[in-house]
Amino acid sequence: MAEDHGSSRNMSMSMSQKELGDEDARAVRVGDAARTNERLEFAGNAVRTAKYSPFTFLPRNLFEQFHRLAYVYFLAIAVLNQLPQLAVFGRGASVMPLAFVLTVTAVKDAYEDWRRHRADRAENNRLAAVLSTVPGAGAAEYVPTKWKDVRVGDIVRVAANESPPADMVLLATSDTTGVAYVQTLNLDGESNLKTRYAKQETLTTRVEHLAGAAVIRCERPNRNIYGFQANLELQEESRRIPLGPSNIVLRGCDLKNTAWAVGVVVYAGRETKAMLNNAGTPTKRSRLETHMNRETLFLSGILIVLCSLVAALSGVWLRTHATQLELAQFFHKKDYLNSDKENSNYNYYGIAAQIVFNFLMAVIVFQIMIPISLYISMELVRLGQAYFMIRDARLYDASSDSRFQCRALNINEDLGQVKCIFSDKTGTLTQNKMEFRCASIDGVDYSDITRQRPVEGDLAWVPKVPVNVDREVMALVRNVGATEQGRYTREFFIALATCNTIVPLILDGPDPKKKVIDYQGESPDEQALVSAAAAYGFVLVERTSGHIVIDVLGEKQRFDVLGLHEFDSDRKRMSVIIGCPDKTVKLFVKGADSSMFGIIDKTLNPDVVQATEKHLHSYSSVGLRTLVIGVRELTQTEFLEWQMAYERASTALLGRGNLLRSVAANIERNMRLLGASGIEDKLQDGVPEAIEKLRQAEIKVWVLTGDKQETAISIGYSCKLLTQDMTQIVINSNSRESCRRSLDDAISMVHKLRSLSTDSQSRVPLALIIDGNSLVYIFDDTEREEKLFEVAIACDVVLCCRVAPLQKAGIVDLIKKRTSDMTLAIGDGANDVSMIQMADVGIGISGQEGRQAVMASDFAMGQFRFLVPLLLVHGHWNYQRMGYMILYNFYRNATFVFVLFWYVLYTGFTLTTAITEWSSVLYSVIYTAVPTIVVAILDKDLSRRTLLKYPQLYGAGQREENYNLRLFIYIMMDSVWQSLAVFFIPYLAYRKSAIDSASLGDLWTLSVVILVNIHLAMDVIRWTWITHAAIWGSIVATWICVIVIDSIPILPGFWAIYKVMGTGLFWALLLAVIVVGMIPHFAAKAIREHFIPNDIQIAREMEKLKHSHELTHPEVQMSTFAQS
Amino acid sequence: MDSSNAAGTSNGGSGDGDPAAAARRNTKMPKYSKFTQQELPACKPILTPKWVVSVFFLVGVIFVPVGVVSLLAARDVVEIIDRYDDACVPVNMTDNKLGYIQNETISKECTRTLTVTKDMKQPIFVYYQLDNFYQNHRRYVKSRNDAQLRDYKKANQTTSCEPERTTADGKPIVPCGLIAWSLFNDTYIFNRGNENLTVDKKDISWKSDREHKFAKNVYPSNFQNGGLIGGAKLDSSIPLSDQEDLIVWMRTAALPTFRKLYGRIYVDLKENDTITVKLDNNYNTYSFGGKKKLVLSTATWLGGKNDFLGFAYLIVGGLCIFLAFAFTLLYVIKPRKLGDHNYLSWNRHPAGR
Repeated sequence: MAEDHGSSRNMSMSMSQKELGDEDARAVRVGDAARTNERLEFAGNAVRTAKYSPFTFLPRNLFEQFHRLAYVYFLAIAVLNQLPQLAVFGRGASVMPLAFVLTVTAVKDAYEDWRRHRADRAENNRLAAVLSTVPGAGAAEYVPTKWKDVRVGDIVRVAANESPPADMVLLATSDTTGVAYVQTLNLDGESNLKTRYAKQETLTTRVEHLAGAAVIRCERPNRNIYGFQANLELQEESRRIPLGPSNIVLRGCDLKNTAWAVGVVVYAGRETKAMLNNAGTPTKRSRLETHMNRETLFLSGILIVLCSLVAALSGVWLRTHATQLELAQFFHKKDYLNSDKENSNYNYYGIAAQIVFNFLMAVIVFQIMIPISLYISMELVRLGQAYFMIRDARLYDASSDSRFQCRALNINEDLGQVKCIFSDKTGTLTQNKMEFRCASIDGVDYSDITRQRPVEGDLAWVPKVPVNVDREVMALVRNVGATEQGRYTREFFIALATCNTIVPLILDGPDPKKKVIDYQGESPDEQALVSAAAAYGFVLVERTSGHIVIDVLGEKQRFDVLGLHEFDSDRKRMSVIIGCPDKTVKLFVKGADSSMFGIIDKTLNPDVVQATEKHLHSYSSVGLRTLVIGVRELTQTEFLEWQMAYERASTALLGRGNLLRSVAANIERNMRLLGASGIEDKLQDGVPEAIEKLRQAEIKVWVLTGDKQETAISIGYSCKLLTQDMTQIVINSNSRESCRRSLDDAISMVHKLRSLSTDSQSRVPLALIIDGNSLVYIFDDTEREEKLFEVAIACDVVLCCRVAPLQKAGIVDLIKKRTSDMTLAIGDGANDVSMIQMADVGIGISGQEGRQAVMASDFAMGQFRFLVPLLLVHGHWNYQRMGYMILYNFYRNATFVFVLFWYVLYTGFTLTTAITEWSSVLYSVIYTAVPTIVVAILDKDLSRRTLLKYPQLYGAGQREENYNLRLFIYIMMDSVWQSLAVFFIPYLAYRKSAIDSASLGDLWTLSVVILVNIHLAMDVIRWTWITHAAIWGSIVATWICVIVIDSIPILPGFWAIYKVMGTGLFWALLLAVIVVGMIPHFAAKAIREHFIPNDIQIAREMEKLKHSHELTHPEVQMSTFAQS
Repeated sequence: MDSSNAAGTSNGGSGDGDPAAAARRNTKMPKYSKFTQQELPACKPILTPKWVVSVFFLVGVIFVPVGVVSLLAARDVVEIIDRYDDACVPVNMTDNKLGYIQNETISKECTRTLTVTKDMKQPIFVYYQLDNFYQNHRRYVKSRNDAQLRDYKKANQTTSCEPERTTADGKPIVPCGLIAWSLFNDTYIFNRGNENLTVDKKDISWKSDREHKFAKNVYPSNFQNGGLIGGAKLDSSIPLSDQEDLIVWMRTAALPTFRKLYGRIYVDLKENDTITVKLDNNYNTYSFGGKKKLVLSTATWLGGKNDFLGFAYLIVGGLCIFLAFAFTLLYVIKPRKLGDHNYLSWNRHPAGR
């Protein structure tokens, strides 16, 4: 990590650069699957994404479910209850809650797995055409074979628009030059066509003859979809033909624009790159859930206290009643039936044992103090919230036709607490749609946009993306009388048209005379450059593996591509060696200015170099991406020398990558500077507004980009991240020492500024701009890291430029380690994966750069600006709902447990419950579960409009206002009070009366259920018909359940509810319990809302009171977010 | 609307007549509905001062009269309570009450005199009250088998009836279990002067119990034959459904101090009437220090004589009216304009960011 180039490589790249050794290789005999698979070491092509089989489902699923500690707790309790001495509940009742939860989860898992099974079966039974040779006869034909029966070594033929059944090396295609086009949409999300080649050597041989006559040695299966190393050995030839990533088509991609392609399977089934990349995202846990565990611990404490109290008191009771128990009719200590036994007592083992038993029984009776149903409720609620986020029309991106995606289902509520956003730039803030804007050619600046016009005149070729042209340049180019400047300008455009890997696709346009050309390629910059060249009359019309055809101002010319050094992130440039029509051999290089100025011979045209440097600076200061283009004519000897070196390097078995790099570096020198191009990286829609909103919500936005400092700053200005009144602190060092110095300077500057303006009104906003080099030094040393943190946290904006993927993760970690602030990372490319996985919440932009970011993310969406509704609206709601639901669940179960506890005090501490065991089991599952789930999915404290209008309201989540210890204590006190009301009002009324326990139990059951539901009702903010149905329906359902339970003659409480409902006292008590129970909560709510209102309360009132006003004057301000 | 029109126009042709519909089918654009966009019509009540005060006031206005009425009703109930467990022990055995109750040779007859404090309208309910008798003790409540009681074929079902499950030789007890075994067996005979006040013991139990829980064709067997006698013996010629004392007893009480209905007297009693009660003091509460009381009581719609409900309603009602005034006062002293954006935290302290 000391060197820049070392750190800029990410994991997958370093894997591809590992060289192929013999011990790593797998040998595939082409067309001879039987011998290839002799040693049974290669996977078959059947895939299996399903987790379970019918036989393993039960044990495996249960095993996975019991990874949750809570389930183990409930299992332990259910087991305890099976001991005869401790049997509090009947068998059925004791196992039911756990069984219910397990069953629901198991059914969900089984359904998902069944769908996977179905998909697997469909996939495995697809048909592929496999070459089958008749031994000896030499005749061969393609036989339809099921995918699962395809083996490594098989030769498979794939037709257009089909997908190869496995990863295969191309042998031949319908194209005579061996080109095949593939779309890798399913693999990495890129919709552009990629070119793949069959090797010349295999193209010329008939496929049937290849069978058995060739061996491919390739690297072990790995998940890098952009890397492949192998070589092909033909029997009659001694040399090995090298194979690379461009010779392989992968399972999961589609063959396009090619009639057929034939290949040999090298990786099959689970060893294919697509399947290896199928690993799920790491699971994250939400902040709320972590906090919840703290409160669960408190509740366990309360539970233990209650149980110990009961156990101790029962011990005291047994001791004081010790002499009476033998004859007391209700105890009957002696067992007269078995009086000959050693222990002549019936179910009595001495006081000590009884205390232990009572303790354990108390745990069983009070078990729902730890709310089991909460876990399943939370899952359901998150599912519901995800449903609404996915269905939100405002999170739908029409341009990429993508909905919001919830990939992780357990951190929805974290979206409401984000304090720090780390954003990638390219593709996230910007569209990654490049537009050619201006150029500096031979030292002349053509950047005046006012002079640019659409192309005029009839051209035979029209690029799909129209480019405006500068008329002066146009004239210069058209003017055949070759001035020096005109010559260089033409050469510049030839360079743009040749020095790339773009594939032209000719489409039929609306005008039959004009052909539309769609330029497909992996780099959007190149697309923009080639389109620009085309607009100026240098139209790339054809590309094969050996040559390209360029329509130069109406005249088709053939350029031989003699060599190509692909772009890599170390060199930061690419080059081609072109055999021009005039028989000269030219080397064109294009690359980033930093890498190009090192290889340019400045003595050739010093004025041009100087001017270009100036232009480059001005381009990047307006936010343009710049590329520098250079050329050199090669002499015959130079070319031959290069050709030999190139051939040697490209067939080398060991260190091929490095050899090729050094060959490239050798030839790329003494370049003549042709000019530079400026490409505009357009901002995504609504980015400045979104950033403004996020800032108002007090969310810090950090931008991490691979771009250079000037570009990053200019983008910072254009998206309103940076403003003119900001003081910029720039840390941009080349050595450890200078880095330390600038950090110290920055710290003293921060301190000075802060001490000058203690009054926060006149505070100077600060921006920190730091580059990747400095970060390398900083992350070396914890002390410097600490200093950086101190500076960064004092700044309003942080811009990191030239950062490598792993550094992005390092920056996220810097904040995550030192603060409890919730971090969110958003990005679109493979280089953002590490950052997305590191942050608390990772968001992928499903845009242009591929799918890796989306695959690694927790949520994925189409546009950066969706962050605003996602965080400010959905995040706020999710957090508020989930926080309330957890607290409510604690409260609701605690209330019930306390009611049980008070009764235990009047039963000789023997843990009898007046409430029937079925009611206590159903309490948290049926009686009170549905309303909290419904409310947690549907309730909205504020409307979308208000939340977007006042982004500051987001602070509620950041300050943890909806779930904290204070609220927990408040709600537990409320729970104790309500349980007292529920228990003691009927108790005092029925004291010394003929009331039976079943009737009293029913009254208690109903009053607890009604009370907790009314408590919920009082806290509901937005009543829809569904909320009404859930809350009142749940009370009715409870009533029905109680009636049903009391209609079973076999139960002791038979008919009690009918009897007790017939008395006036019952109704009078029910009313009294509800009123007495609710008074404190109601009064506290009234006081809190009126005298110490929080922002949300005020906003609610504004919403309510201004409702009619806004109907007549709808807000226009929010239209960017309100519409999609 | 859109799609129905399209269906109408493209009647003859194929489905591609409506490009908009086709596009909608292909796109992943979420379909708009008020539900999915979370815009269902909703009522958003807020606790305005008006609401708070009216709720408190309303509750107060309802609760106070109800409290007064129930207090008056409770005051109307006349109740005579006589504790007799101590008084019925002969003077020479007060030190050895247990010996007294266990000695079968000592007559348990006892006479008590009650004075009617106030006019009592019929029906007069006769209860016995036990104190400190844990009919809700876990050992006790579990010790029964309801299946056995309602089906003579299931006489052998004595699970969970321990320790009174079978006789020593293994025959099933019907009714089994501690509850039945401990059946209360004191009896009372009431006289006013020479007039015998008949106690109607019919219908003292729940009809539902007689009809569905205790069967007409199940007779007691092997009952109270064990080593320890818990309480009453049952006439094995009378079916369980007619053993109303047993049925009442087996409706176990919720609390350790409880009353059970003994019978009803359908005679009006006058103030200062003297009633002599001849009772058989059979039931052993001396072993655990329990008290036995005889209760004569009239009844109202609210049940027995219990002031609690009336007081509770009065206090709660009064408190609510007090709170209504207190809140009014608070709202007047510290008024706040609802929905005033000046109260938003960032407007209150504009420099607070």
